[in-house]
Amino acid sequence: MTLQRYSRFILALAGALLLSACSDGQRTAVEIGNEQQILHMGNGDEPSDVDPHTTVGIPERQIQLALFEGLVSKSSETLEIEPGVAHSWDISEDGLVYTFYLNEEARWSNGDPITAEHFVWSWRRALLPGLGNQYAYSLYSIKNAEDFHRERISDFDEVGVTAVDERTLRIELESPVPYFLELLEHHSFYPVHPPTIEQFGRPDQRGTRWTRPENFVGNGAFTLKSWEPNRVLVVEKNPHYWDADRVLLNEIHFYPVQQPATEERMFRAGQLHIINLLAEERVPRYKSEEHPALRSFANYATYYYEFNTRVEPLGDPRVRRALSLSINREQITDQMLRGGQRPAEHFTPPGAGYEARARVPYNPEKARELLAEAGYPNGQGFPTLTILYNTLDVHERIAVVIQQMWRQELNVNVTLRNQDWRVYLASKRGGDYHIARSGWVADYYDPNTFLDMFLSDGGNNDTGWSNERYDELIGRAARAEDTEQRMEYFQQAEAILLEEAPIAPIYFYQYNHLVSPSVRGWHSNVMKHVNYKGVYLESQP
Amino acid sequence: MQRITEQTATEPVLEEGSSLTRDAMHRLFKNRLALVSAGFLLLLILVALLTPWIAPYAYQDQNLLLGASSPSAQHWLGTDTLGRDQLTRILYGTRVSLMVGFVATAVALGIGVLWGATAGYLGGRVDNAMMRIVDVLYALPFAIFIILLTVIFGSSMLLLFLAIGAVEWLTMARIVRGQVLTIKRQEYIEAAIAMGLSRWRIIRRHVIPNAVGPIIVYTTLTIPSVILLESFLSFLGLGIQPPQSSWGSLISDGVENMENYPWMLIFPALTLSVTLFALNFLGDGLRDALDPRASKD
Amino acid sequence: MLRFLCKRLALAIPVMLVVITITFFLIRLAPGGPFDQERNVPPEVMANLHAQYNLDAPVVRQYFDYLGDLLRGDLGPSFRYTTRSVNEMIARGFPVTMELGLYAILFALLVGMPAGIIAAMRPNSLQDYVPMSAAMVGICLPSFVLGPILMLIFGIWLGWLPVSGWGSTPGDKILPAITLGSTYAAYIARITRGGMLEVLSQDYIRTARAKGLSTWRVVMVHALRGGVTPVVSYLGPALAGLLAGSFVVETIFQIPGLGRFYIQAAFNRDYTMIMGTTVFLAGLIILFNLIADVILVWLNPRLRQEAGH
Repeated sequence: MTLQRYSRFILALAGALLLSACSDGQRTAVEIGNEQQILHMGNGDEPSDVDPHTTVGIPERQIQLALFEGLVSKSSETLEIEPGVAHSWDISEDGLVYTFYLNEEARWSNGDPITAEHFVWSWRRALLPGLGNQYAYSLYSIKNAEDFHRERISDFDEVGVTAVDERTLRIELESPVPYFLELLEHHSFYPVHPPTIEQFGRPDQRGTRWTRPENFVGNGAFTLKSWEPNRVLVVEKNPHYWDADRVLLNEIHFYPVQQPATEERMFRAGQLHIINLLAEERVPRYKSEEHPALRSFANYATYYYEFNTRVEPLGDPRVRRALSLSINREQITDQMLRGGQRPAEHFTPPGAGYEARARVPYNPEKARELLAEAGYPNGQGFPTLTILYNTLDVHERIAVVIQQMWRQELNVNVTLRNQDWRVYLASKRGGDYHIARSGWVADYYDPNTFLDMFLSDGGNNDTGWSNERYDELIGRAARAEDTEQRMEYFQQAEAILLEEAPIAPIYFYQYNHLVSPSVRGWHSNVMKHVNYKGVYLESQP
Repeated sequence: MQRITEQTATEPVLEEGSSLTRDAMHRLFKNRLALVSAGFLLLLILVALLTPWIAPYAYQDQNLLLGASSPSAQHWLGTDTLGRDQLTRILYGTRVSLMVGFVATAVALGIGVLWGATAGYLGGRVDNAMMRIVDVLYALPFAIFIILLTVIFGSSMLLLFLAIGAVEWLTMARIVRGQVLTIKRQEYIEAAIAMGLSRWRIIRRHVIPNAVGPIIVYTTLTIPSVILLESFLSFLGLGIQPPQSSWGSLISDGVENMENYPWMLIFPALTLSVTLFALNFLGDGLRDALDPRASKD
Repeated sequence: MLRFLCKRLALAIPVMLVVITITFFLIRLAPGGPFDQERNVPPEVMANLHAQYNLDAPVVRQYFDYLGDLLRGDLGPSFRYTTRSVNEMIARGFPVTMELGLYAILFALLVGMPAGIIAAMRPNSLQDYVPMSAAMVGICLPSFVLGPILMLIFGIWLGWLPVSGWGSTPGDKILPAITLGSTYAAYIARITRGGMLEVLSQDYIRTARAKGLSTWRVVMVHALRGGVTPVVSYLGPALAGLLAGSFVVETIFQIPGLGRFYIQAAFNRDYTMIMGTTVFLAGLIILFNLIADVILVWLNPRLRQEAGH
């Protein structure tokens, strides 16, 4: 009887809890958001800051796209350059001098006008050595910028940025850069409001309070409203924005959700309009249902394996090429990943007016031949190498599959090793690996972002591979004035890269995420570029 | 059944008199649930030992064409996303998880009981010093430590044993000490002291046997919590190195796929749960059986 | 009693020092620095970054600088959340985790203790097996399984409760508290049952029963006091362990608590954050253990005497 009384009590309590939860009208955040033009977005991770000169991550970038605007902006529909703070610009014949004319209407979120001098100040700040800006190198195409950043000169007047007058900015380059306008859209070129930054610290001081919502001044379509770490960051429409008429949303809420599974559940429960990333294993299901929210599009990025050429027998190009030839890429993309990824038989993803001719196809017979030539007929005497990857389910599954392929096709045994992200980076950088999983996501929409990585002195070339001819071709491409000629140099370079095989491309990324059908004017694209202008919400019937 | 005697015989309580052992056995045999559990665990241990011979496939065998398939005649428990046989992977996982569970718990049990009983019984300064050491270790945030250690040294079985064993003995020591503190004030101990028995003899013959109930209860709780800790590490990606599997890694894979391929979660989770239930029921049975004061009705 | 307290508090200082020292040097041993990322940066930039965070000084110097700051109560700036100090992050995260932990413990006590008591009253009967099996679900399923299952059932299929957030929608605290609490409910049920059985077999209880008192009365008046002793000694460490254990629940339910920072900091090599949370948690654990000890002494009159000496 006491048992009864107790269970009755528990039941009553549970009932009360549930009722209190359900009695509320049960309108989801998405439904309310649709009415009030408030967009709820999953944003991957907690931003470390919103300062465009001290941050490197994609979550930060997504927020900065709302809070700041560069000289130019980019359409997310066509990926074409559009006016930003500058309404127009001239480029000199030799491609060395750019002159930008600033929009008179362009204002900071506190109403101050934006001047050319502000850009000079901001770029100087971005290049101040003490700030430790990890993206400072993206400004290096400006004349003397690298020397200033590396403290070879101390006078910023020598750097090729000049405020001709209040509304005219002139930029001189070291050498012509065909994708310079593209670069200008990068967050390291965003202007920041000098008085605000100076009010809260030195220009080269990181993490000051200027990016707190109560202090923040920006120049984007939105401005910072509130920021609760690990909960939500809210931006609201900036009334001083020059193109405010085209800004249709009132607020955007960015949620730092790390786990794709959590994000997806939030989407299904009506708490998010857009999720940042749909977990690999969930994609086939949404595909087969033809779910209206699924957005799947090619990404300008490659998944590949790196060979450490300083480790024997990986110093032998025949061995590397044999390993690469015996990967059945189609099986990985079509039977295992099934998320729309394309098998990569070359390194640079097709796009930006370039598609490589060279190929590294699936050809196990040729692979066995090469391996025998290198002195390992039927894999005999081949040492046990290790595949290194950072801890993530998809990397693990791919490694397990490739391990099996090499065992079957070449009779070569490899072991697997997963390391936490930072350890993995340290191992790769220190050359402490045999074969390592890697991924490269384009910094800008041009094949150069992929191919200049393998220059002998390339900062991200961890393979130890170097090839004079390759370096020369990439150098020529940089100086080429004719686009066709430039692409031809890239073709030849890529052919060398695949033949010498310091890397084995595996697949081209596919970006899959969910966008609620009530979100209008949202364009998903290869560069994952977002332009919040023109996005609005419509309640579904 | 022979195995149970052996198992219980390792408990210190049984060293002394045969009548106690016989009583305990008698009581244990009366508890059907505990017997069934013991049988199940024995079977599981046997299966784990024989896995390489009875597993239907090799644990790394894949079949990408097949992919994740539901249970069938070829694959009784279905396959995972790489087309690997689930039954095989669970069998191998059982080996790993049981090993982690038993070895780490044995480490914890050995250190914890000795430490706690000694501290509690001796009392005074010794107790103070010993429990202060436990406090120091307690105050170390172990989650971070295990993560840092696996990060520095890479995750290996030995590290898992040591790290988990090092965490779990502390609670054991505290519980034993608490229990001993209560017991030692009871009349029969005071009588033993009055009779001039040596301290060590008192600890061995009276204190440990009387504290054995809670120790067993806690041990049966420790094995599952160790198995859970391993699964937590697997969830963080710090568990066992692939292509090997443990229950933890299988379950964390299963959770990811629970809506698409429910069998990937159900079977490993079921194996884990049933094992944990069995461990608990057996622990109960042993507790009741070993408690010298339990009523003899 | 007061002396006992003072003594324990004085002992806490060397304990903390050991914790700080071990953690400080261990994190610097781990490969990979706080500012490493996919794109390599020139060494000058890295050097400047390190200079901003005093990482260019010799390690021993860094250690003493850290101790100095700590004495002033300054845990330093977070390396990962660059605009925030560790103090701020803890001040924001801790109340959330604490609240979650309290609800979880409350749920655990509410389910676990009665289940344990009821089970102990008739051991090895249905009245034992049923409540114990029910309470044990929590330790038979890891929280990263239980959480998503609860979310799927109550959040998505039934649509009764929100699947994420903390204090932003009504009812969003229920599922996380149940997920986190169910593990502890099982433990508490087991320990209560064990403790109760122990006490129920004692002579004075038999006497009480023989005197004709009802079972329920005996349990409530006499046995409960002795039976909950192990529960109390379990609660101190459990509460502390719960803070670390809340990581999984905070991650899957998107709760801005300390547990999330704590584990994440290790992966991010956010040195100051690891140190700050470690020092804070260690202090907390010491405090909880002390409280548990005080309650134990208070529950046991003989120990009370001893502590007085």
